[in-house]
Amino acid sequence: MVDLNYLKMSKPQKFAYNFGKFFKALPGRIGGGFVKLGRAIAGFFKAFGLSVADLFTTFKNGDWKTRLSYLIMGSGSMARGQWGRGLLFFLFQTVFNLYMVNFGMAYLSKLGTLGTVATEKVGRKTVYGDNSFLILLYGVLTLFFVLAFIYTWRVNIKQNKIAQQIEASGKKLKSTKEDLQSLMDSQFHKTLLALPTLGVFVFTILPIFFMILVAFTNFDYNHQPPAKLFTWVGFENFKQLLSSGSASYGDTFRQVLFWTLVWAFFATFLNYFLGMFVAIMINKKGIKLKKMWRTILVMTIAIPQFVSLLYVSKMFAADGLINTYLLKWGIIHEKIPFWTDPGWARFTIILINIWIGIPYLMLIATGILMNIPADLYESARIDGANAMQMYGKITLPYMLFVTGPYLLTSFTGNINNFNVIFLLSQGRPMGLAGNAGSTDLLITWLYRMTVSDTNYKIAAVIGIMVFVVLAVINLVVYNLIPSVKNEEDFQ
Amino acid sequence: MAEKNTLAAQPKLRSKKGHERRTNGTIYTVLTIMSIIWLVPFVFLVLQSFRSYKLEKGGMVDYLLPKHFSLDNYAFLFEGSNFFSWCGKAILVGLIVAAAATLLIHLCGKALDKREGEDKGARILMIGGSLLVAFAALVALTAALQGFALAGKAGTLLIALALFMLVGFLMAKVYLKQDSKLLRSIPGYVVEDKHEGAKKLCTLALEFLVLSIIIQHMLAPMTASQYVRWYINTLTIALFTAVLQTAIVLSVSYALSRLRFKGRKLIMNSVLVLGLFPGFLTMITLYFLLKQLGLTQANAVPGLILIYCASSGMGYYISKGFFDTIPKSLDESARIDGATRFQVFLKIIMPLAKPIVIYTVLMAFMAPWGDYVFASYVAFGDPKGYNVAVGLYNWVNTNDFQNYFTRFCAGGVLVAVPITALFLALQKYYVEGVTGGAVKG
Amino acid sequence: MASLKLEHVKKVYDKNVVAVHDFNLEIKDKEFIVFVGPSGCGKSTTLRMIAGLEDISDGTLTIGDRVVNDVEPKDRDIAMVFQNYALYPHITVYENMAFSLRLRKMSNEEVHRRVCQAAEILGITEYLARKPKNLSGGQRQRVAIGRAIVREPQVFLMDEPLSNLDAKLRNQMRAEIILLRKRIDTTFIYVTHDQTEAMTLGDRIVIMKDGYIQQVGTPQEVFETPRNLFVAGFIGSPQMNFLKAKLVKASDGYQAELYGIKVPLSEEKCAKLAKKGVGSQDVILGVRPEHTMLSFDGNANTIEGTLRVNEMMGSELHLHVDLADGTSVILRIPTLELTEAQRASLAYGSKLRFTFPEKVAQLFDPKSEESLLF
Repeated sequence: MVDLNYLKMSKPQKFAYNFGKFFKALPGRIGGGFVKLGRAIAGFFKAFGLSVADLFTTFKNGDWKTRLSYLIMGSGSMARGQWGRGLLFFLFQTVFNLYMVNFGMAYLSKLGTLGTVATEKVGRKTVYGDNSFLILLYGVLTLFFVLAFIYTWRVNIKQNKIAQQIEASGKKLKSTKEDLQSLMDSQFHKTLLALPTLGVFVFTILPIFFMILVAFTNFDYNHQPPAKLFTWVGFENFKQLLSSGSASYGDTFRQVLFWTLVWAFFATFLNYFLGMFVAIMINKKGIKLKKMWRTILVMTIAIPQFVSLLYVSKMFAADGLINTYLLKWGIIHEKIPFWTDPGWARFTIILINIWIGIPYLMLIATGILMNIPADLYESARIDGANAMQMYGKITLPYMLFVTGPYLLTSFTGNINNFNVIFLLSQGRPMGLAGNAGSTDLLITWLYRMTVSDTNYKIAAVIGIMVFVVLAVINLVVYNLIPSVKNEEDFQ
Repeated sequence: MAEKNTLAAQPKLRSKKGHERRTNGTIYTVLTIMSIIWLVPFVFLVLQSFRSYKLEKGGMVDYLLPKHFSLDNYAFLFEGSNFFSWCGKAILVGLIVAAAATLLIHLCGKALDKREGEDKGARILMIGGSLLVAFAALVALTAALQGFALAGKAGTLLIALALFMLVGFLMAKVYLKQDSKLLRSIPGYVVEDKHEGAKKLCTLALEFLVLSIIIQHMLAPMTASQYVRWYINTLTIALFTAVLQTAIVLSVSYALSRLRFKGRKLIMNSVLVLGLFPGFLTMITLYFLLKQLGLTQANAVPGLILIYCASSGMGYYISKGFFDTIPKSLDESARIDGATRFQVFLKIIMPLAKPIVIYTVLMAFMAPWGDYVFASYVAFGDPKGYNVAVGLYNWVNTNDFQNYFTRFCAGGVLVAVPITALFLALQKYYVEGVTGGAVKG
Repeated sequence: MASLKLEHVKKVYDKNVVAVHDFNLEIKDKEFIVFVGPSGCGKSTTLRMIAGLEDISDGTLTIGDRVVNDVEPKDRDIAMVFQNYALYPHITVYENMAFSLRLRKMSNEEVHRRVCQAAEILGITEYLARKPKNLSGGQRQRVAIGRAIVREPQVFLMDEPLSNLDAKLRNQMRAEIILLRKRIDTTFIYVTHDQTEAMTLGDRIVIMKDGYIQQVGTPQEVFETPRNLFVAGFIGSPQMNFLKAKLVKASDGYQAELYGIKVPLSEEKCAKLAKKGVGSQDVILGVRPEHTMLSFDGNANTIEGTLRVNEMMGSELHLHVDLADGTSVILRIPTLELTEAQRASLAYGSKLRFTFPEKVAQLFDPKSEESLLF
């Protein structure tokens, strides 16, 4: 049904209408979200219950091969002649058992306290006690391993059940050779994803999980293993970062967060519109040497940032080329404090970032501009639109629509844009509590906390806060921007 | 009536042209100013790299043009290294071998082509090559175990020889397939792309050149200055990362784009969530993990390769977007034709994915040149494990930077020139990648 | 060369969307079967299940005497031609056609022989060294077919192979497929949404709608005795006219009454109706446009209407006529049957009268939409 009354409205009216509609729907949406979450949790427990029940029925209905597999993984498969699978299962269980007995159990049992025996000096000798760092790391690793084991054990039983069914129906089971062949065909995704998933698990998920846990400990320069122990402290670190007070970082955190958001906003949108503007200029009919202009601009992408940004940061230094030449020519009489005044430093960073960012946006905009169907413009010209109107009614909406998702990722990327800040100002000028500077982003602050201050607990909390900020922004935008959802409208 | 109209329209038309000219003029001015701003820092960088740190100052000065143009800074970078003579030798050896091999293979291909049982000849070549590889590997292994320097050299030489054979065989096979007698007997058969043959020979020559450099390196390693060492470190990291990361990214994106399996959505959502955590959060854990493996400080190079590649599967987005645009019916058709999914991947999708493969390689290759954070953390103060970014950053940010600034400029120029050239040469693919990625989000 | 059997085959996509319900069909060896229906009717899904590209949710599929439900497509010994041809763009036509043979590790000589033979049949020998992008639509179509026939498969599947071609080329290729079929003589399953293709190509036609088979039969059968309103409307162009009528049962038989005329039904029809136990009721009477006749002699037992549109098609006229109650019908009248004066009288808005022979009338139950004569 077409809502003719809506179509009749003027632009502001439409905007007000949609705005109202969004807020009217908001409680329902949030409620809906909770209902969904609740359903998902309920579904999980239901699936879990079913799975446990299935374990019992499988055991009850299973033959001896299946039942033996409950104890010795893979034995059922081997007894059925599926040697390859069975051996793998068996091997996994053996490795797991050996690991747990020799290694895992000890660490797992200390995970609650993170170690109690402190390192001491007895005479001239150092007697090493517990190492909290290792306990936490290997504890987490062991926890993952246990979960993996339970999952594999479950798979092992499920496979027995299926194998039994297949045998009962009189069909043949897959041989080891067929299993291997299927890894190149119907199970090809396992082959492709095995290594990458393992890599992500060990080098991303495990460390992230570890650091989230560190946020709840007092791991810092005063508690450095192996010399000292550290232990669980609950939400103490979150309190320290978020609350105001002399010993807390609350004020700094708010300032840094504010600057991070301001920076991300300018870095994203300023570059976006300027880049688009440049692209339109270069692509205008009748402009010659298009390729040359583009290539010149693209130089800032091509040259490694540590060369270009380090050099430019020195150009803007107190005794750098810019200041000396401006003084020489008599344009200024005092050196401009590019890196020492907070306001100037922020301004300079945003300015230099334009230099780095425009070419990138120019390339993207060029690609999209070429994709706008020419007949849209022709039809607009026949309808009597001038250049500005065509830009406002066709180019801009099209660009915004197509690049909506890109803007989101770009905003996220700029919140985490370490290189530009670090290579230009290193966060200076300093002067905030918690060893932060006026141009520090959350991410550079996090870096300094880790590298120079070895204040790991606060670094971990900052990391979690970055995650929270990004998650909120992403969720809101995903729910608000239509083009993230329906990509087909303009096609 | 009609006449009046044309008269009235004419001045307007003329003014429209004038307007056009004025707009274009403005645009040209803006673009020229922008170009100057964009290029000036790089011109300065190059100029200052030629200022002698011996005769003038190595730090910041209040003038732009050096008073004496000299190569002092560049000479400093290579001080204590036999880099040039070494390279000269390697290239000479490479060129000779490449020329000889190219000729050999060309003749081989021709000869095999003339014979009836062409598969037989190829098979002999292959078996011979494989035997040689096996033998060489055995020699090399014994050498490594016994620690005989001489035997080691002989072994590496043999391996290299075997590699030559193998590559030669592969090329001969390709040569046969593309231009065999059988094909030419088809009426109406024309070689469509005449450059194809020349292109193949060029790639071949390049491969031999690289191989020769490897041999030269194995026989007589280069004595490196600090800068050369950093440069080689970075190059090694970049090359390995480019290959491994591309393999991983393509595997993941192919699996997520073309294959349907349980847990596919889960994987994509997890990657989305994991991507929201800042990367440096995990730095200390990674350092510790690498330390357990002995891959930090002086051994930072393999450690960094591991870090760059391990989680690279999470960057599947752009290439998945590309794969999504290849019609699914090609896969289906190939599967009905008798291909397994692996064969579909290898024989159908990969050849079609050339642009995105190049894009991925380019990105993976360029990233290590600019990485300071992980590189400095993993190398942890040991200059042997630095990459160029860490080394040069330290030059600029030491207390002594008044003396090292111009040397930094020279070092930066030597990094920037090849990377920029590579980037500009492959710009087309880069543009394709970023535009595709941006449009699909 | 093999027969096919589909028994209770069903396709359910996730979230309980049923694409194909309980599909039962036996396809004889060397038969040319056409699946036809509007888009979304499940015809392509069925074909893809036969190919092995979609899993079969329920039921069994037998090729030859082997149940192939869980067999990979590559092991089913079938070949398929896709709507968008699916030619591999990076290799030559020769290699495209040789692709499947090389995967089967066939010797070079054999590959060459088969490719050349297929190329000759299809007349594409001179394009063998080209890449697909340098071919026209019709040539690509031929290559796609060639790629399938080099395989010498048991079953030949075609998924709307002509729908990407322009009208003229489509007619030409249709004729060539008929010829091709004579030459290679194997089992064909052909999917199309175009009823003309279905009628001209198929030994038997399977008409589908919403995942259900509506009717299976030879072209003649489905044209002359459509089983329900849908089939009647789908087959034939322009569409069959449906007129509201009353079926009146008298002692000596049945007659249909509509728009003031009475049509006594033939004995054959009466027998069928009587056998079904049909009484007096409302019915829908179907008449194909080509079976109508204009009446200029003032016969009272004819239907009156107002001419709305007169389409001159050359050899015939398509007259769009509004009846008294607003129902619109189409009449297809050969131009030669009309005199100059009669044609001149067919002006827009003029009144005309038409009739039809009793034997072509179809009767449908308005509620169940099933044919009463089946």
